[in-house]
Amino acid sequence: MLWRLALRNIWRNKRRTALTVSAMVVSSSLLILSLGIFSGMLSDMLASATEQYYGHLVVSVTGYQDDRDFFDNFSPDPELLEGIASNPGVRGISPRLRTFGLVSHGQRSDPAEILGVEPASERQVTRLQEKIVAGSYLADDPENGALLGRGLAERLGVNPGDELVFVTQAADGSIGNDLFTVQGIFSTGDSRHDNGLVLVGLLALQQLTVLPDRVHELAASLEDPMTAGATAAQLNARLPAGLEATDWGQLLPEMQEAITASDVSRLIIVTILYFATGLGILNTFFMSVMERTREFGILMALGMRPWRVRAMVLLETLAMGGVSLSLGISLGLVLSLYMATVGIDLSQTITPITYAGGTIAPRLRVVMEPANFIIPSLLLLAVCLLAGFLPANRAAGLDPVAAIRED
Amino acid sequence: MQVRTEHWQRSLEMETWSLERDRFLVRILAPAKERGVATLKVDREVWNFLPRVDRVIKVPPSMMGGAWMGSHITNDDLVKASHVDEDYTFTLLEESPEHYLIECLPKVNAAVVWGKIVYEILKPQLVPGTVTYYDEGMIAVREISFADVRTTGGRTLPMRMTVRPLDKPGEETVLQYQEITFDVPLTAAFFSLRTLKER
Repeated sequence: MLWRLALRNIWRNKRRTALTVSAMVVSSSLLILSLGIFSGMLSDMLASATEQYYGHLVVSVTGYQDDRDFFDNFSPDPELLEGIASNPGVRGISPRLRTFGLVSHGQRSDPAEILGVEPASERQVTRLQEKIVAGSYLADDPENGALLGRGLAERLGVNPGDELVFVTQAADGSIGNDLFTVQGIFSTGDSRHDNGLVLVGLLALQQLTVLPDRVHELAASLEDPMTAGATAAQLNARLPAGLEATDWGQLLPEMQEAITASDVSRLIIVTILYFATGLGILNTFFMSVMERTREFGILMALGMRPWRVRAMVLLETLAMGGVSLSLGISLGLVLSLYMATVGIDLSQTITPITYAGGTIAPRLRVVMEPANFIIPSLLLLAVCLLAGFLPANRAAGLDPVAAIRED
Repeated sequence: MQVRTEHWQRSLEMETWSLERDRFLVRILAPAKERGVATLKVDREVWNFLPRVDRVIKVPPSMMGGAWMGSHITNDDLVKASHVDEDYTFTLLEESPEHYLIECLPKVNAAVVWGKIVYEILKPQLVPGTVTYYDEGMIAVREISFADVRTTGGRTLPMRMTVRPLDKPGEETVLQYQEITFDVPLTAAFFSLRTLKER
């Protein structure tokens, strides 16, 4: 009976109901969309930081990641690799050797970081192969091929096929030097890498630095980057002494903070938007309760208990909230799906921004996360009930005699 | 040249030519693996020749602080040591029958890496004894000592130089002259990139 009354009341003033419902639909669907874009930006940033260079988790000599001491290298025996690969959730492992030296072509030389990798393994950890702007990625047997960032290539004036000389201090104190051929040029949007990173074959770099069979780190990628902390902790319990696993949260503390901060800012956006929506709902119901003062008086005079009056008004708000919610979620889902598959390309107007170690790509794109739908939905219902509570109380507190006499 | 560091020990045999103080050329003779690696210094610039890749690489400003041939001598030392009198002001700290102590403080506009250099000059022969290098915090960080003073070709000079980084005990670079000849007919044109590339 209460439900029927409540529904009938809602439809009595169709225009007002439609306005309130549309306010709720718009606010909840926009909220879902903006939270999705927010998640998209964060996942872009995280992906750029981890999948362009670091990997999700790195095994190295304890302390290596702090100072990158050239002599903190180790031998990656098959048992160790197997032990890491057998961890659930590990997608790929890439052994790497790192040195800092001079890259030169003709008269030009520039300092750079040189990373020796096995291309087939490295492709499972980073996605530089998707960022190639000229030439191609390193072949599985790279020989003396080299991949370098666009900024560095421009400064040296090299194109694919050109010759590069690397000069660095080798492990035996001699001047390590060798000739390489530019295989490809990448552009990641992260200026540090575009201006100073060179990838070469692991074997070639081991020879150059006189560090046969040694590496500085094993970079791993995971199915779910968010499990990196837990996986690193598991590995640390089993790794041989002297080695440690570091997850991206430790490698990039700023990124970890950015993600934590985003949870807070997400809540702030939700609060502001829903506060405004809540005031709208409150206003609508106050009006509708005031208009029906006489009606409530009669209902109560006929014997309706105050709690039932209150329940009726609350049911009205809840019903409106429910309708708005289903419409809002559907609209939000449609918008999000569109933005997830198509997105908006902003590269014409803005350039990539590097922040907290990650790069925000110049595009708007949605990443679907359950929380981005659940939080707005639950909160919308809560706001409805909260906004309905005051008018419902007022209606329930009416004195039947005074109410009937009111004009 | 004998180098001992925490990570490597190496022994190099080299031949070198120099003209006044602005030009010199060094070439490695042994070990075989590094034979032919050469360094040319003209005024304030340094080039390395790498026979393996057959290229001459000019040492860029950012790498001037790097070790020269894996020793405790930096590229900067090669360049700046010959300009000490231009970059520093000198004060006589102490004079005794055995030695002079001379303190060198950098001039205001000099682009140098040391906060202070103290030279000990041995009085009887007027040859350097010990040179101590201080960083900007005036902490002694490096010491170069000279020994094996001999008279050859009418000149008295120490034949051995030892560089010790004071913050890394146990590490040192020893440069020992086997043979030295003076007044060799050399012209400035000899110190060219072309000579550098000759094996």
